Amino acid sequence: MAAVAVAPAVRPSLGLRRCLRCGPGPRAVPAGGAAPRPCSTRAAPRGIDRPVIDRIIRVDHAGEYGANRIYAGQMAVLGRSSVGPVIQQMWDQEKDHLKKFNELMVAYRVRPTVLLPFWNVAGFVLGAGSALLGKKGAMACTVAVEESISDHYNNQIRTLMEEDPEKYKELLQVIKQFRDDEREHHDIGIEHDAEATPAYSVLKTAIQLGCKAAIFLSERI
Amino acid sequence: MAAAGAARRAGWRLWRGRAVVRCQHYPPLRALQASAALRRVSDEHKKEPFTSSSQHQFDPHPAGHQPEQEPQGPHPSCTGQGGQESEDYESEEQLQRRILTAALEFVPEHGWTAEAIAEGAKTLGLSVAAAGMFHSDGSELILHFVSECNAKLSELLEKEQKLVQLGEAEKKPTDEFLRDAVEARLRMLIPYIEKWPQALSVLLLPRNIPSSLSLLTSMIDDIWHYAGDQSTDFNWYTRRAVLTGIYNTTELVMLQDSSPDFEDTWRFLENRVADAMNMSNTASQVQSTGEAVVQGLMGAAVTVSNVETLRPELLLSPPMLNASPVLEVRAPMDTWEVAPVPEPEQGDFLKLFQLTSVPFQEFIHFLVLSWTALCPCRGSFASSGVQNSPLCTQE
Repeated sequence: MAAVAVAPAVRPSLGLRRCLRCGPGPRAVPAGGAAPRPCSTRAAPRGIDRPVIDRIIRVDHAGEYGANRIYAGQMAVLGRSSVGPVIQQMWDQEKDHLKKFNELMVAYRVRPTVLLPFWNVAGFVLGAGSALLGKKGAMACTVAVEESISDHYNNQIRTLMEEDPEKYKELLQVIKQFRDDEREHHDIGIEHDAEATPAYSVLKTAIQLGCKAAIFLSERI
Repeated sequence: MAAAGAARRAGWRLWRGRAVVRCQHYPPLRALQASAALRRVSDEHKKEPFTSSSQHQFDPHPAGHQPEQEPQGPHPSCTGQGGQESEDYESEEQLQRRILTAALEFVPEHGWTAEAIAEGAKTLGLSVAAAGMFHSDGSELILHFVSECNAKLSELLEKEQKLVQLGEAEKKPTDEFLRDAVEARLRMLIPYIEKWPQALSVLLLPRNIPSSLSLLTSMIDDIWHYAGDQSTDFNWYTRRAVLTGIYNTTELVMLQDSSPDFEDTWRFLENRVADAMNMSNTASQVQSTGEAVVQGLMGAAVTVSNVETLRPELLLSPPMLNASPVLEVRAPMDTWEVAPVPEPEQGDFLKLFQLTSVPFQEFIHFLVLSWTALCPCRGSFASSGVQNSPLCTQE
């Protein structure tokens, strides 16, 4: 029963939300403190900031899931073309990323976003749609998405570094590694003439807006 | 009297202050005022049993003792963890928790009301005015009780998990695990079962819904976690939603149950869990059937388009019947037997595109032949181009 009498900072008291450290994370946490969390009886592992980590893992998982589907869509259309192997290779890396985030999600007991079925379809449609615009279109989509994702990862790295680099060492390592992979994909896209797509800037802006909206929603819902 | 009034006012300010402040540090002034008021009150009544009764509780609140016994002001024996404010903050919460825990034994008699809390406070040697710290409908008492039960359940599940890890116990199949967990949790209501309907109605007050909902969801999440759920897709939500439904309905059945030791309730629970398992089986079977049908349609579409483009070599040669991976009869595996979910392989659409030409040609071939056998070439379509089709073998 000593567990029951653990410091109030950890136990939910009288049903009120508890907040271990309302970190001032710029992107991952909205202004006005952490959103209400389910009063959980799970012990706070290693004193980490649960709301922030929850969001980070949830949105990253959603992002990798979506990227997976985007590449699946592109492969469905361009699988047998000359860029097929390139896309396949990038897709395989994304599958690895997704697997890693699945593990992290289970380890930190984070809930996935409700919108996963929606990202399933939307990602595939985006990938297939951009591939129908041709190989350059597919590469342009890749460039736009990967740039968005690497910016997003950079923000997360900044948030975690501001909080406590030591505590989040493992997570930081993972995110840094993935950020480097995504940058690599971005560069591959540029190499394959993404910028030569007709209406490249329009396409890129539209896709990046979509990505920002997806990130915003997945963090919260 | 004045002290009681002061205590009540301080209690209300305390309550409202706590409801508003979530993440920020507790306003030290209010804490001091409230605890000071309580201390004054308890000093007035000069209850000796205070220290002795607090020993009745299992008591690991050493920090809580000191401020209670000494008058307000700087505490010479402060254990200095972040100063006076945080210590009072802790003791405030701990004090409230102690009062509520003490109040629980009076609930069967008085219900979930301020009277029970007052009696509980009296047991601890505090004035009945301490009940003024809480709402008159007993919300905090009920929420405290629910959260205690959830904590006990977690401990129980944790212990079981350790036993399994050490190899001293068998890992239970999912349905049995869920059944046992829900039963264990519901059994904690038995001492209070008479007054539980009242508690449920209080928990459903709009003011309490966020808290009660989050306590419920965290309990269900705990149960699934210890059951070994590792889903990271929409299944996460489905499983929890279903288990929540099972739990709530079983709770309601329990309230109406008058059988010895609630046998009817546990049987109801068993049936609901079995239903849920069947449902997940059925869902996976429906999914594979659906996939097969879609595959068939795609195959038909491509075959028909091959016919249109007059590619006889695809039709006249008997196609190889590769077993389509999608058509494999899936063993009626219990998808809730938390096996790792296979990742999405090559997209389903890709599979469809790849497999269209092969598996259903036989079937479509048969359909087309029977169509020709039935009638159209016999004369009614003489003017159309059907007679030129290689399929039209009859005249």
